[in-house]
Amino acid sequence: MSHVSVNLHLLVKPEVRGIRGNGPGSPRPPSASVRNAEPAREAKKTLEIYSVELSGTKDIAQTDKADGKEKYRGLKNRFEPRKNHQKEELKKELDLDDHKLSIKELEEKYSTNIITGLSSTQAAALLAQNGPNALTPPKETPEIIKFLKQMVGGFSILLWVGAILCWIAYGIQYSMNKSSSLDNVYLGCVLALVVILTGVFAYYQEAKSTNIMATFNKMIPQQALVIRDSEKKTVPAEQLVVGDIVEIKGGDRIPADIRLLSVQGCKVDNSSLTGESEPQARSSEFTHDNALETKNIGFYSTTCLEGTASGMVINTGDRTVIGQIASLASGVGDEKTPIAIEIEHFVHIVGGVAISIGILFFIIAVSLKYHVLDSIIFLIGIIVANVPEGLLATVTVTLSLTAKRMAKKNCLVKNLEAVETLGSTSIICSDKTGTLTQNRMTVAHLWFDNQIFIADTSEDHSNQVFDQSSGTWASLSKIITLCNRAEFRPGQENVPIMKRVVVGDASETALLKFSEVILGDVMEIRKRNHKVAEIPFNSTNKFQLSIHKTDDPNDKRFLMVMKGAPERILEKCSTIMVNGQEQPLDESTAEAFHTAYMELGGLGERVLGFCHLYLPADEFPESYSFDVDAMNFPTSNLCFVGLLSMIDPPRSTVPDAVTKCRSAGIKVIMVTGDHPITAKAIAKSVGIISANSETVEDIAKRLHIAVEQVNKREAKAAVVTGTELKDMSPEQLDELLTNYSEIVFARTSPQQKLIIVEGCQRQNAVVAVTGDGVNDSPALKKADIGIAMGIAGSDAAKNAADMVLLDDNFASIVTGVEEGRLIFDNLKKTIAYTLTKNIAELCPFLIYIIVGLPLPIGTITILFIDLGTDIIPSIALAYEKAESDIMNRKPRHKKKDRLVNQQLAIYSYLHIGLMQAVGAFVVYLTVYAQEGFTPGILTNLRVAWENGNVNDLEDSYGQQWTWYQRKYLEWTGYTAFFVGIMVQQIADLLIRKTRRNSIFRQGLFRNKVIWLGIASQIIIALILSYGLGSVTALNFTMLRPQYWFVAVPYAILIWVYDEVRKLFIRLYPGSWWDKNMYY
Amino acid sequence: MAALQEKKSCSQRMEEFQRYCWNPDTGQMLGRTLSRWVWISLYYVAFYVVMTGLFALCIYTLMCTIDPYTPDYQDHLKSPGVTLRPDVYGDKGLDISYNVSDNRTWVGLVHALHGFLAGYSPESQQDSINCTSEKYFFQESFGAPNHTKFSCKFTADMLQNCSGLVDPNFGFAEGRPCFVIKMNRIVKFLPSNSTAPRVDCAFLEQHRDARPLQVEYYPPNGTFSLHYFPYYGSKAQPHYSNPLVAAKLLNVPRNTEVVIVCKVLADHVTFDNPHDPYEGKVEFKLKIQQ
Repeated sequence: MSHVSVNLHLLVKPEVRGIRGNGPGSPRPPSASVRNAEPAREAKKTLEIYSVELSGTKDIAQTDKADGKEKYRGLKNRFEPRKNHQKEELKKELDLDDHKLSIKELEEKYSTNIITGLSSTQAAALLAQNGPNALTPPKETPEIIKFLKQMVGGFSILLWVGAILCWIAYGIQYSMNKSSSLDNVYLGCVLALVVILTGVFAYYQEAKSTNIMATFNKMIPQQALVIRDSEKKTVPAEQLVVGDIVEIKGGDRIPADIRLLSVQGCKVDNSSLTGESEPQARSSEFTHDNALETKNIGFYSTTCLEGTASGMVINTGDRTVIGQIASLASGVGDEKTPIAIEIEHFVHIVGGVAISIGILFFIIAVSLKYHVLDSIIFLIGIIVANVPEGLLATVTVTLSLTAKRMAKKNCLVKNLEAVETLGSTSIICSDKTGTLTQNRMTVAHLWFDNQIFIADTSEDHSNQVFDQSSGTWASLSKIITLCNRAEFRPGQENVPIMKRVVVGDASETALLKFSEVILGDVMEIRKRNHKVAEIPFNSTNKFQLSIHKTDDPNDKRFLMVMKGAPERILEKCSTIMVNGQEQPLDESTAEAFHTAYMELGGLGERVLGFCHLYLPADEFPESYSFDVDAMNFPTSNLCFVGLLSMIDPPRSTVPDAVTKCRSAGIKVIMVTGDHPITAKAIAKSVGIISANSETVEDIAKRLHIAVEQVNKREAKAAVVTGTELKDMSPEQLDELLTNYSEIVFARTSPQQKLIIVEGCQRQNAVVAVTGDGVNDSPALKKADIGIAMGIAGSDAAKNAADMVLLDDNFASIVTGVEEGRLIFDNLKKTIAYTLTKNIAELCPFLIYIIVGLPLPIGTITILFIDLGTDIIPSIALAYEKAESDIMNRKPRHKKKDRLVNQQLAIYSYLHIGLMQAVGAFVVYLTVYAQEGFTPGILTNLRVAWENGNVNDLEDSYGQQWTWYQRKYLEWTGYTAFFVGIMVQQIADLLIRKTRRNSIFRQGLFRNKVIWLGIASQIIIALILSYGLGSVTALNFTMLRPQYWFVAVPYAILIWVYDEVRKLFIRLYPGSWWDKNMYY
Repeated sequence: MAALQEKKSCSQRMEEFQRYCWNPDTGQMLGRTLSRWVWISLYYVAFYVVMTGLFALCIYTLMCTIDPYTPDYQDHLKSPGVTLRPDVYGDKGLDISYNVSDNRTWVGLVHALHGFLAGYSPESQQDSINCTSEKYFFQESFGAPNHTKFSCKFTADMLQNCSGLVDPNFGFAEGRPCFVIKMNRIVKFLPSNSTAPRVDCAFLEQHRDARPLQVEYYPPNGTFSLHYFPYYGSKAQPHYSNPLVAAKLLNVPRNTEVVIVCKVLADHVTFDNPHDPYEGKVEFKLKIQQ
């Protein structure tokens, strides 16, 4: 049940927002407000719109709780039992009432003093009692467990069984004959060694990829300024204890949950907690019952943006609000990745085949009157032949190769398997700010001379093409330059303008950079137009003005420049400048102004109005002393100059990426805390809502009918606000998600992401979610692939995520998707390649049991193929380029499009594998025949052949062979069979380059690594035969050169057969052939 | 990472499996309709027929290229193996032990020797010719009937005291047992340059104070006459019988186990292969109780 409460607690957020009213939830025009708008008025507006939420605070939280229970009862039941302890913690959090207490009461409660602070001894005692002030990192699986898991996962179990059977076989032999050979013991050891080595390798690979993250996560230890023993001391933030008096200033991270005691102009960025990026003012007064609402609490891990404050630590470490959310995230189920499921599926298939063939032939062997001991040995052979020992290691290497490639493209993958998950993604829930957009305000449109001009919003602003010849522009540009308090931080002359660091808020920064790009050195212009007076922006006035001396030495007039909320500015104006000429502001111009204002507002842009006034020189002589408090200068009858609108523009790469997603069948859903209009505008400009699709509201507007009358089926797009979402039942959400292809969720709290993610997952979609805040972490965990932002992301988000986007760019996700899909295809090829030879390795045992030939290939030799010659080629397939545009395909259906499907297994086993077996048998029989044993005599020779007491066994020529001479021939047979498989595996490798296209179309030489693989195969085989041929334990012998070529015709046959297969697949798509032969 | 696996109940799984076996809606059995099954079976039948045909063709071609008289390579038959009769194997190699006074312990051994020498009776050797020359019996042409080559006769009586004709107990009864030593056949193998290969038996570990092993060899000197070589293969010499040497051990110590090694001494016969205990020599344990 407590998981429910998770959501509940998180759901408290939306109304929080409504009340505060200065979050990103602030309505933008046309509900008309400028940035930093006056809270009271704003709040009123918010009230009208979001009145439902208003009654706020705990009561609502209670109802929410009830609602939530209702809503989630069905889908959450299975989470309930294990989450009870978290419920307790949550209760505690709700009980937080320190914000209501007076300072006196606080001092008593925490037995501290706000002047002298705690004593060092008290602090030390509390530290010992409560532990350090740090978040407990999510519970790591102990290394040894991880290691052991590698030892028993996948095929390891089968190989362990093989090894144990070997030892059992030796035990039986030993009990019957004390001097039996140790061969089986060795084989058992080799198998165990293989398991251990591949386990160590997989463990090492995983550890390596985890290490990347570990270094990435490493943070500089935080310091805190604390009053202890009446002295200010700097101590590591970890050593803070409850009751400590700490001081914070702009730029600091708040070191613990603190109750603010005194505040000077302090603003905090609570985005890591609430997801809202707007700064929030703090004060020492108790303003709200809800601890999350009240202004006198500063939360751990949030940032103090400006001002200073001092406060008392009331919670540390995991007991902080953030700590509780973080611990919730670790409670959300962390389950198997799609590729892990695929591999498991594949292991089941192969394991099933191995075990059923093994048992079948065990029974056959026993019923053919073979000794039980021999039957066990056959069983071992069958298991070893059937298990692709090297494959899991290969898959790991392949995935880590891709992970590396993705890291180069700014996708840092924490969990190797996530590489593929990204490829099967069918829905991406993306943040707006920073991910889809550039995360900086930029001037997008200008309106002057009754005309809207478009400004360049690309990343470098290089190309401003609007008409700059008009006199109005000259005046406007002057206002923009002068009526602005933002400044470049010094010493950045060589930095491109758009990249320079600016001191000032987002809008002013945008204006500064805009004017710097167009006009050149703004600071110089400001110097020439000396500022004599200034009223900074405040929320009561909703304007900002400054008075300057002009740079025209002949003009002694002062210039007053003003900017602010457009309607406020217009109120103060009596004239308007058109083409450089002042004209009276009449009805029609006011109308034009409103039209432009509405239009720009409708684009989701933040609009500012600009006006100026040359103060008459006679009334305001040069010596005039302006008093900003007394306002001894006119602020009405000004001259309106123009409008300027700003937006956080989309990243230039995003529209392409969204189009790619769309053609790749991936639904992109925008989830943002922003206003629906802005969200919709950005969604439209990046293509999340395509140009020709409409929302229900759009249709209603176009047809001039009420929203209710619109046929919902006609609308393809939907913009849903957090409030609407809150009132939806899961069924309604499902309906929404299935019926609309283009969805924008606006004004959602990051916590509602979790609900959206769950909704998507109910549609059987593989969901990727981006997030940066701490409270995104449950959604990141819940998603099939959580993507954290590398730049903006909090550590908690990065911890919860499977992947980190180093550049916060949506387009990087798409490259990630492409890589993920490619790796899925290539893994298919790798597995097909690896599975094929299993039949060629298995058939010898079956023939040996049934027909009684001398054993064609030994267990050790099989291991040399699986772990020797085949390793590099199968990795080489990971470098194969895509056959066609993989981004034009639908995402794979996670239940239908399996990694290893029936066709792949059948084609590999029963077609190519069988051909390989036949080819290898031909080599084997050739060697035996040329040495004296023709195929006819070989049948049922096994018993005599293997009897060490028969030392005069006759061959087809009447020659007599001792046991060792036969054994040596048998090893030559092993080598021959091995070489036969190796040669045909070269052909197999080449045909696996493509699944549909001809190899020639793919290009034989495009993937150089394949040739490296082939070279490695041949070289390893040559070394084994000629270099180690004299080492008897390895069972290799020097093979006559001509035997290396016996299997070549079969290799060619394999290649021709596969080309024909591909040809028919291309010729008759959808046909019987296509269905049965395409894997 | 989220839940991608849904738990299915057992009955659901069974139901799904049943549906897989027989789907009444589409008429599919095991995922295919009957006609589809016929088609796919036909394809596989055709595919495997072709593959079998190709395999048969390959083997046929292979057999065509192989000389029926001489193997192409004798890589593993550089030196012939040597075997012993009677051959009773213990845990490790030949292990012969019997009690002189208890004829039940050696009657089996004697029987085995009689059985082995049955192939050397004059009747079974009647298709071979008598050879007297002590030189290699080279035959370029197929002079014998039925396009074969001649084989030299080796009859049991050449083993004299160990032939079983003189002493049907092969000396086992008096504790001086006969052992028959046979050299394996290798096509066109010439054991030495001029002298006939000779068998030499001795204790494996000759203690300085102990008496050396005294052996009587039959045929005299324990030689394999050169006219039995070269061997031309079973097709050219269907009646060929390996020449034998019998060794009668005269002074085997009683009630102790001794290891005796019989080597074939010839220029081209090696007996020092560490891996192959039967190449060019034969070792056996012997324990005679009294």
